[in-house]
Amino acid sequence: MKGRSLKLREAHKGTSSPSLCSVVWGLDGCHVATASAADTAVSIHDAAGQPPASVTSLRHHKDGVTALAVSPNSGTLATGSIDHSVKVYSFPDGEFQSNVTRFTLPIRSLAFNRSGSLLAAAGDDDGIKLIATIDSSISKVLKGHKGSVTGLSFDPKNEFLASVDGFGTIIYWELSSGKSVHTLKAVAPSCDSDATLLNVLSWSPDGETLAVPGLRNDVVMYDRDTAEKLFTLKGEHERPVCCLCWSPNGKYMATSGLDKQILIWDVELRQDIERQKFDERICCLSWKSNGNAIAVIDVMGKFGIWEPVVPSCMKSPTEGAPSAQARHAKGLLLFDDVDEDPSTSGSLDDAIDESHGESAPISHKRLKKQSSFDDHSNEYTDGEKELAHQIESRKRSTSKLKETTGRGKEECAISRKLTKAKTQEAFQPGSTPPQYGKRRFLSYNMLGSITTIENEGYSHIEVDFHDTGRGPRVPSMTDYFGFTMASLSEMGSVFANPCKGEKNTSTLMYRPFSSWANNSEWSMRFEEEEVKAVSLGTGWVAAVTNLNFLRIFTEGGLQRHILSLNGPVVTAAGFKDELAIVTHASDCLPSGDQVLEVKVFNISEGTQSVECRLPLTPSSHLTWFGFSEEGQLSSYDSEGVLRVFCDHYGGSWLPVFSARKASKSEDESYWVVGLNASKLFCIVCKSPDSYPSVMPKPVLTLLSLSVPLASSDLGAADLENEFIMRNLHLSQIQKKLSRMATADLDTIALDDEAFNMEASIDRCILRLIASCCNGDKLVRATELAKLLSLEKSVRGAIKLVTVLKLPILAERFSNILEERLLNELKRPAVVTGLSSNGTSTKNAPLMKASMTSEATEVMQPESTFQPSTLPKPCLTKQDKTESKKVGMAEPHNDPKEETAMATSTNRCHQQMDPFAKISKTQEVEEKDKREQHMELCKNASEGTAKEGVNQVNTRSAGEGNSNEAANQRQSHRPVNPFIKSANNQGKSSLLDSIKKMKKADHEKDEKLNNKKARV
Amino acid sequence: MAGQSDPSLTIFSAPEVEFLGEDEMVEIVPNIRMESLNMICGDFGPFFPQMASKVPLWLAVALKKRGKCTIRTPDWMTVERLTQVLEAERESPREFQPLPFHYVDISRLLFDHARDDIPDAYMVRSLIEDIRDVRFHKVETGLEMISGRTYAVKLKNLSAMEVNIVRPFMVRTLQAFYKHDSPEMTQQEDFVGSRRPQVADRAPRRDLRPR
Repeated sequence: MKGRSLKLREAHKGTSSPSLCSVVWGLDGCHVATASAADTAVSIHDAAGQPPASVTSLRHHKDGVTALAVSPNSGTLATGSIDHSVKVYSFPDGEFQSNVTRFTLPIRSLAFNRSGSLLAAAGDDDGIKLIATIDSSISKVLKGHKGSVTGLSFDPKNEFLASVDGFGTIIYWELSSGKSVHTLKAVAPSCDSDATLLNVLSWSPDGETLAVPGLRNDVVMYDRDTAEKLFTLKGEHERPVCCLCWSPNGKYMATSGLDKQILIWDVELRQDIERQKFDERICCLSWKSNGNAIAVIDVMGKFGIWEPVVPSCMKSPTEGAPSAQARHAKGLLLFDDVDEDPSTSGSLDDAIDESHGESAPISHKRLKKQSSFDDHSNEYTDGEKELAHQIESRKRSTSKLKETTGRGKEECAISRKLTKAKTQEAFQPGSTPPQYGKRRFLSYNMLGSITTIENEGYSHIEVDFHDTGRGPRVPSMTDYFGFTMASLSEMGSVFANPCKGEKNTSTLMYRPFSSWANNSEWSMRFEEEEVKAVSLGTGWVAAVTNLNFLRIFTEGGLQRHILSLNGPVVTAAGFKDELAIVTHASDCLPSGDQVLEVKVFNISEGTQSVECRLPLTPSSHLTWFGFSEEGQLSSYDSEGVLRVFCDHYGGSWLPVFSARKASKSEDESYWVVGLNASKLFCIVCKSPDSYPSVMPKPVLTLLSLSVPLASSDLGAADLENEFIMRNLHLSQIQKKLSRMATADLDTIALDDEAFNMEASIDRCILRLIASCCNGDKLVRATELAKLLSLEKSVRGAIKLVTVLKLPILAERFSNILEERLLNELKRPAVVTGLSSNGTSTKNAPLMKASMTSEATEVMQPESTFQPSTLPKPCLTKQDKTESKKVGMAEPHNDPKEETAMATSTNRCHQQMDPFAKISKTQEVEEKDKREQHMELCKNASEGTAKEGVNQVNTRSAGEGNSNEAANQRQSHRPVNPFIKSANNQGKSSLLDSIKKMKKADHEKDEKLNNKKARV
Repeated sequence: MAGQSDPSLTIFSAPEVEFLGEDEMVEIVPNIRMESLNMICGDFGPFFPQMASKVPLWLAVALKKRGKCTIRTPDWMTVERLTQVLEAERESPREFQPLPFHYVDISRLLFDHARDDIPDAYMVRSLIEDIRDVRFHKVETGLEMISGRTYAVKLKNLSAMEVNIVRPFMVRTLQAFYKHDSPEMTQQEDFVGSRRPQVADRAPRRDLRPR
């Protein structure tokens, strides 16, 4: 540290007691305005002149002046005073222009935005006034601070206004909407008691960071967008920092502390490079916009200009900062390449000097015109000699700085990563960020929502179910913990709060909605551990902590398992027995891609069913994670891609929705709530908001899932999409089926569903074949025909292509059909050889499905002709079946009956078959033959499999079994794939069929009696 | 029109017009889960909580009365849209702005039964009243122009309630003109004159029928 001392001269006499003074540079760098809270006058000093400089005094205020601000574009000076008024003067000549506004309490802070169009004024009043300078109208009043606002700073990009109050609360305001974006509580020192001390804050000239005096005698940098703490400048200050200002290029920073010293920092190296001690506390600093000088003023009203501030061996504080004019023109600050890449600054000095010479001359010429103070422009104009000298001096400084740069490089690398690509924070699916004074969602899912609002230190939590008719009514709860995480299920809700400071430990709380025992809610406290994510399912509650512990509790609060996870948690979701947890697999890639990993645990079985990577769109992050209504794992990222996990290819994620393709207008975004097999449930948010607010109640919008298909030459994107989606759905059903079959559960409903799905896939394929034929894509049509699952549909396809006059295809399709029939002929033989119950075969569910879906219908054709034709025909029929059963050794040698049945099935096909019109008699005949054939083989398989065992019983006991056998026989009819949904039909006629069944039973009894009598 | 209280005058009472207006479709957001409702006029639902679905106004009101849903305000019933309409109504003294045929009835029903679902209800209400007044005034001034030589009065975009108010007057006026016309006029325009009242009589009705 150099032993220079700075001589201060008196600007404001005032009283002998310390009072708040302020100082500000004019843009041209020739004038300095000073004011004191103890003096009614504002002084404008000519800085260029020598000590007996001309001083203009402005005595319009009736009380002390507390705030000064100079408009960046025109020469106006705004002053705010304890007398509640804000006045505007021309600058530097000090002509009084107008009273801009009046407050009801003293003004504490003023700020112009970068273009000078807005003036923000605030003080002890409870609102920050934004005043349009052009007509002095108040454009907005921002309310939200509890104490007096002491510091204001406009973001240079004119997007935000940051403000700080006496309690140290910082609020980021969005200028366009006037809403607070972030609120940081108690981050700056509280200075409400001391009138001579004001909290301040300042945006870096590039607008990327906000500098705020911290609680530990340091300066804390906050991120522009996320308001997260980036880093701190900590050094030689022994007491809190009371004032700070950035150098024009943002490379340096000057801070003054309560310890009566000013430090100059190199922000990139996070090191103090210069220090100056004073007799009194410096309460205001202002960096000259075009020079290496700082104007300072102390609490006694003495001011001075410190020049040069930054040692000449280092880069100029103005280098890279655009000149005042350039700033007006662009309104934005753009850095030279040199300054953007700090890691190279130490080692590649010469290159930098070159590039500097190339890239910056224009701005430097401008600077030269404006000011003679700028040492850099001097150096530039003075020619090569000076330049060489400069390079030499740089080299010297390089050697000095070598070790620090080494360390600095690392830090810079880290800091860049921090600012650009951050590993994403933990979040709860369905939660919205906190907004000051507004209710927000802690959890929103398909069941209901948990909302909270902070109110005087306490929060009020409400749990609402969407279905007010069914869900339990949950009384609202006062929350003394400050819960920020919650999760909701039918059974209960779980809450957790992070640890805030030392006194507040992280707590997990579970509230069941109904319980047979009193007082069944419980809570857990975590010492030196912080809950990051919570989730719950049937009978379990899970919490993931910052120690990467997964803690699983039972519903009653028993600590069941504690597992260690691989990385920091991102989010967790629960569905019935399954718990899915997303963790970071590693630090995020330099490109900004998150590396995430997902694990699915089955809590009741204690197994881990899935472990895989969680894919995301490049440089996006996860925004929603959960299970679909059917229990499929799904994720949604910030780029609007919804993915579903499925078993294809050994477990993979399928993109099933893309917001880009779906959204009609640019400013719409989708906030996902849930999904089912075909629809996405989301809340549509209009542009500025990316999440819904609690009031008015958001309404769910249904969007169809659509796979991001390439635009094909077929021009049938809808069909292709339907085809893929349905196949996906079918595979899900089949997976569930096999799981249930192994668990020996009732699978009838699922069989039905699977069958319906197959039928609808076939329908879709047929339409695709049609469009392929129209588009002359015959190979594709053949491939599609091979995918048809029911041979009924293959026949339909044959008909279709014959109508479309494509005999080649018809031939090929017939070949496919024949092949299929042959295969099915072979397979049953194998099946019967291998297993007796037939569940292990692949098409067992199919056959079963055909059986069950028919089961309800079966009785109809029979019973419809029964009443009209009376016992006799029935009897003969019964006889026939009976006889057939007797003659089981040579099954189905009754061709007459077979054809009769086949024709009857044909009749009903003709009713429902869309291709019925084009069916020709000869084909029908052919089909009949084939059907017969098919039935033969099916019967053979089923008959041998099922009846073979109890054949003897059937023959002897006959009574109940004959009925069953009849059903079975009829159920073997091939089922029409064009039936809309066998299920529905079944439902609608359920009552009927039950009635008819009873009747039939009754009649059968009669018949049997008759028969017996005959016998 | 079986529901007409006075078929001879071809007049509807205001509640009757309102009844017809109840068939208009509105969007509701149910707060319960419910199977679909099979009505004579069609099937509605199934309903899922917090998912909007379209139902006729009468059903919406019935559900609202039972606290089973909230009614979403139609697009045209927002302050901005209504201010635009009101301005346009005031600017063009002869034309009527397109508004739903039953706008008076729909807004009335919504204000009676679903006031809490309408944002800025007070403002919306006063705007609708203003619009209605402006339009009625226009109708009145339009009718002043009717004379014996008038063949037609152009009243496009007229709403149900407005038509209903105008109808008896129109019919009677034209009848009176017809009666007082000179005999040669009558002979000349026998063809036209004999049909005129009927046309005036039927035109509004034809509008009502499809609803």
